[in-house]
Amino acid sequence: MSYPFPIPTPGTHTRPFWEGAKLGKLMLPRCQDCNRVHWYPRFLCPVCHSNNLEWVQASGEGRIHTYAVQHLAFGPWAKEAPFVTAYIDLNEGDRMLTVLRGVDPNKPQDIKIGARVRVEFEAANDDMHIPFWRVVED
Amino acid sequence: MAGQLSMAAAIVGAAEANEIGFLEEPVTALQLHIEAIRNLSIQTGVPIAKIEGVFSTGWSSELCEHLGIKPKYIDTTAVGGCSFEMHVHHAMAAIHAGIIDIALVSHGENGHSARKIGGGGAGNYGRGGGVASPAQEMTMAYGLGSAPSNYAHAMVRHMHRFGTTTEDFAHIAKVTRDWATLNPRAAMYSKKKHPFGGPITVEQVETSRLIAWPLTILHCCMVADHGGAVLVASPKVAAGLNTKPVWIAGAGESMGHSNMLEMDDFTATSAGISSTAAYTMAGLGPDDMEMAQLYDSFTITAAITAEMLGLAPRGEGHLLWKNGHAAPGGRLPINTNGGGLSFNHSGMYGMPLLIEAYRQLSGTAEDGINGDKGKQTSARTCVVNGTGGSLSTTATLVLVADD
Repeated sequence: MSYPFPIPTPGTHTRPFWEGAKLGKLMLPRCQDCNRVHWYPRFLCPVCHSNNLEWVQASGEGRIHTYAVQHLAFGPWAKEAPFVTAYIDLNEGDRMLTVLRGVDPNKPQDIKIGARVRVEFEAANDDMHIPFWRVVED
Repeated sequence: MAGQLSMAAAIVGAAEANEIGFLEEPVTALQLHIEAIRNLSIQTGVPIAKIEGVFSTGWSSELCEHLGIKPKYIDTTAVGGCSFEMHVHHAMAAIHAGIIDIALVSHGENGHSARKIGGGGAGNYGRGGGVASPAQEMTMAYGLGSAPSNYAHAMVRHMHRFGTTTEDFAHIAKVTRDWATLNPRAAMYSKKKHPFGGPITVEQVETSRLIAWPLTILHCCMVADHGGAVLVASPKVAAGLNTKPVWIAGAGESMGHSNMLEMDDFTATSAGISSTAAYTMAGLGPDDMEMAQLYDSFTITAAITAEMLGLAPRGEGHLLWKNGHAAPGGRLPINTNGGGLSFNHSGMYGMPLLIEAYRQLSGTAEDGINGDKGKQTSARTCVVNGTGGSLSTTATLVLVADD
């Protein structure tokens, strides 16, 4: 069965992220001047405004910063409700949005802010593998 | 020490479209604009032809053309629901600079009718089509599709950080509804006006339908039809009108982010920055405020905003409602029209904030009808704060009544 959810169209400067995703690697942009990792990908470092940016392979690990349970969703996601969305604090710094896996949307109180999560990739098609984060044991 | 811009202009009138709320006969956003502008002209006695500056969220050239105005100043700032507070700020600056004497700030949005007839018109909230921004590219895959889907994350973080509960925030919805039952114009005024109208309990807020846990539907504002307009004028013009001026003592604006992905602290907005600027300009502080009109897209928005404006300590914004201070008869009335939660919210709520603040400080907040108690208060100062986007942009005004 084909992937039912919206698939991003890669922008002009985000190819390395999607190429990495195909190989199961989480690639993040990093500034070579101030060493900070940022997300989402910029044309300039949002911290020091240098354009001396590179892509680095990240650990693929992080922690839950905050979350919510979506009971009302739209388009292809409507059928999935309820599902849990979360903002993930990456071990390397900055934050990603995800649909969180390995949690029960009907027991939101059991989900812990600060819980460890690991990235995994789902093939939406030959080119696009979408990152999702899953709660793992501490 | 008050800044030079302080009191350089006043809001001299505030009006709405003829009918607002959940309209049976669909209306266009343009009609809502034009009705409000006509009512404003009648109220103030200022002919439409005398308007020199036009401020709106993307609509200004269409409005000018429709009205046959040749303006000297055009502003179409569109950064969400706080845009209208920014328009007032910008209008005051343009008046102070001597470019114009009379500015129109206008709003029309058919959030309800659009479901039947579409958006209709040229105004828009933000970016157009084409290639997605990288922030959109990296967030579009995850099923977030509405404001509550985003704002719920802020409430969870607030609960985690400060130990607040859904019940704490439910008091905000309950008290705000209490205000709406004093306002016949409020969509949720009574059961007769709307099947879900009339008083509500904290328990009802807690157990109503889940939209995005922990937000139930009664933690969320409505999406209805609203049009409104205010006139901002120089002291010279204000002195010649029959309507009372409400003085703009302070104004400030800022933003934290555009996409919620970039929200550094999910329990704080840029209202800390925008309100500091507004208070400084006014030479007044939060303790001097006798009333507040706060964008309550969700209960959590109102709570965080109260904290950012210094009306309550961090983590304790909800106590203003829970302890009755914000309620009818309380020491700091908040959202006296019934708010976006129970009065009206068309998508961008900044204009109803301005209209209610003007009415309260000019002594023209409607009385109740049929023997009901009215919502007019005795407040002489009011802090107004709009919030746009996903807790993204903010603008704060400090308004004071005429002597």
